[in-house]
Amino acid sequence: MLDRPSPVIHLLKYLALCAYMVFLAFPMVWMLSTALKGPREVLSFHPTLIPHQPTLDNFRMAFGEQNLIQAALNSTQVSLATALFTVVIALPAAYALVRYQSVLRKIALGWILVSQVFPVILIIIPLFLILKGLHLLDSLPGLGVVYLVWSLPFVLWMLQTYVAAIPSELEEAAATDGAGRLRILFYVVMPLLVPGLLVAGLFAFISAWNEFFFALVVLQRPELSTLPLTLARFVGTEGNVRLGPLAAASLLATLPSLVFFAALQGRLTSGLLAGGVKG
Amino acid sequence: MRIFVKPIWVGAAALSLVAAACGSSTSGSTSATSTAPVSLTFSTYAFQPQTVAATKRIVADWNKAHENIQVQLVQVDPNSVHDKLVTQFQGNTAPDIIHDEAADLGGFARQGFLADLTPMLSTNLKNDVPKGIWESVTFNNKIVAAPTLLQTYNAFVNRAALSKAGITPPTLDKAWTWDQFAAAAKQLTGGDKFGLGWGLKSPTATVMSMSLNYSGKFFYDQSGKTVVKFDTPEQQVIKRIHDMAYNDRSLDTVSLSQSGADVIPGFFAGKYAMIVGGNYIRQNMVEQAPPDFQWGMLPLLKGDTQTQNANPQTLSIAAQSTHKKEAMQFIEFFMQGQNLADVALGDWLAPTSSSAGKAVVTSSGGKNGWDVTAATTKDLALAPFQKLDNYPQWKSQIATPALQQYLGNKIDINTLGQKLITGWQTVNG
Repeated sequence: MLDRPSPVIHLLKYLALCAYMVFLAFPMVWMLSTALKGPREVLSFHPTLIPHQPTLDNFRMAFGEQNLIQAALNSTQVSLATALFTVVIALPAAYALVRYQSVLRKIALGWILVSQVFPVILIIIPLFLILKGLHLLDSLPGLGVVYLVWSLPFVLWMLQTYVAAIPSELEEAAATDGAGRLRILFYVVMPLLVPGLLVAGLFAFISAWNEFFFALVVLQRPELSTLPLTLARFVGTEGNVRLGPLAAASLLATLPSLVFFAALQGRLTSGLLAGGVKG
Repeated sequence: MRIFVKPIWVGAAALSLVAAACGSSTSGSTSATSTAPVSLTFSTYAFQPQTVAATKRIVADWNKAHENIQVQLVQVDPNSVHDKLVTQFQGNTAPDIIHDEAADLGGFARQGFLADLTPMLSTNLKNDVPKGIWESVTFNNKIVAAPTLLQTYNAFVNRAALSKAGITPPTLDKAWTWDQFAAAAKQLTGGDKFGLGWGLKSPTATVMSMSLNYSGKFFYDQSGKTVVKFDTPEQQVIKRIHDMAYNDRSLDTVSLSQSGADVIPGFFAGKYAMIVGGNYIRQNMVEQAPPDFQWGMLPLLKGDTQTQNANPQTLSIAAQSTHKKEAMQFIEFFMQGQNLADVALGDWLAPTSSSAGKAVVTSSGGKNGWDVTAATTKDLALAPFQKLDNYPQWKSQIATPALQQYLGNKIDINTLGQKLITGWQTVNG
């Protein structure tokens, strides 16, 4: 029988947890506070968390000056497509890497690691020329393909640890009962991999949602701008930033990620534990 | 294994095909037929709402008056202009008309990506902009851009604080010398208040530009090789700033580690009687100062001269554009006095042309520092550093850390000089 922790330790744990939550939430709260402040209050020498004269002007400015809704839709399309296709492609590959021990496996794992070494700046011009040759420049599908290629190695690496955590005896039992390889993959392995797939999908989604540089280079037409590109237009040169509208627009940019996380939180936690402990 | 590897390639190929089918070709210079209207793309990093509105108005006016030459405006992020242009030039998808700044043009000009505007520029435009500013956009005797707006570094004062201390602010005819400026800062210091706050977190551009007051050029040609010198002319400005911080104690040392924008709240709150910043921070004064706050913008500080570096915003034409003549016509239109004045008023920067300078003063009534701003153009000239290929590396890796150490009182002036000189030898091979 386990000893119950003392109430003091219990209290300290909760205090530490609260402090950590405040630490994590503070930037978001400050962003909301800034978004609700007028231009004079934003530059106050003694800033306060609660705005003295709350205003929605920053939201009006942000939405009036930039097409944030269109940018959010573009970001959503690209991010969802990236998450979906990345997981669809990575899943069978991860399964094959784990279950089929061959020379190809080592080569593939080496390729995955090497692919993470190249800095973006080194590949950006060749990538630009390839996309141009494929007529994929200045298009959201083109950007999606770039994100897919960029996320795939890490997602593949991540998923194979989840696959490895599934006992092969389960598959052997299914095979004994007459199930084929694809049937085993879809009906035995996949249900157990759901948390891992969510984690991988979430990683690909967030990576695409926040990405700036590829979008900057690939997209030309204003109507195709993603949110990071649109937010950057509130920042000028020489540290000249329009803080109020930027904070208002950033809130919009943050909300989908928060909603996505909140919706998947339960499964995400179990997924992390499955990958981290059992693997 | 093969059965499980195949889906990767099949999936990727299918995705590429779908993406290719959905994709659209990039925009760029269109090769118009003789009957179709010419279509020009104009990328701008205009960021202030008023500037964006003025730019859109200019483009709309142009399009209305020129049915056969239509300009399409494309907004880009101000801090990523260079990166975007690098890929666009390589991929032959650069916009016809490019908004950039003079300091960024050298590499592009040398690689032949920018059209030579020299034979296309009208005499009117040529004469409307001071020669020293044209030099900043001239590479190998070719003018590769039309200069539009300029930034200067000015002192801003709390008029009430000066009045209380019995200090008369300088006038356009009689600018303060650095000695007078330091004396005023000292006089305005007392209690928990400082005479001066100066956001010098990134000190190099400011120091390099203002050192021209004493002919401090830093970079000199020595038998065909560029060397850094740190003699009396180069030491003047940085030493005076250091002295105000550590001898006079009139410059708040905390502000030296802050950005230019960070010190503005302290200025509004009365902690600093004066601050130094870019001429564009007048916008903060107008829009964000407390209603009863009385501020003033001072003429450029004077050493031997009032000279500062000219690094104007620019309009160039891509060499790969198939409609250079039409693009030049649009640039000439953009540079017309009232048009350029409207853009300058939005960005709170000095227009480069004298006609736009006059229009700015007329439109603003000379208020909010516009009289001072319009008068500064004549004092701007090209500093040698601006055209050096290795300057950005020297600036970020050598000069900025060394100047920060000196301004933090961690090293002395001789050590600073050594670091600047040997650092240049390192980065310049």
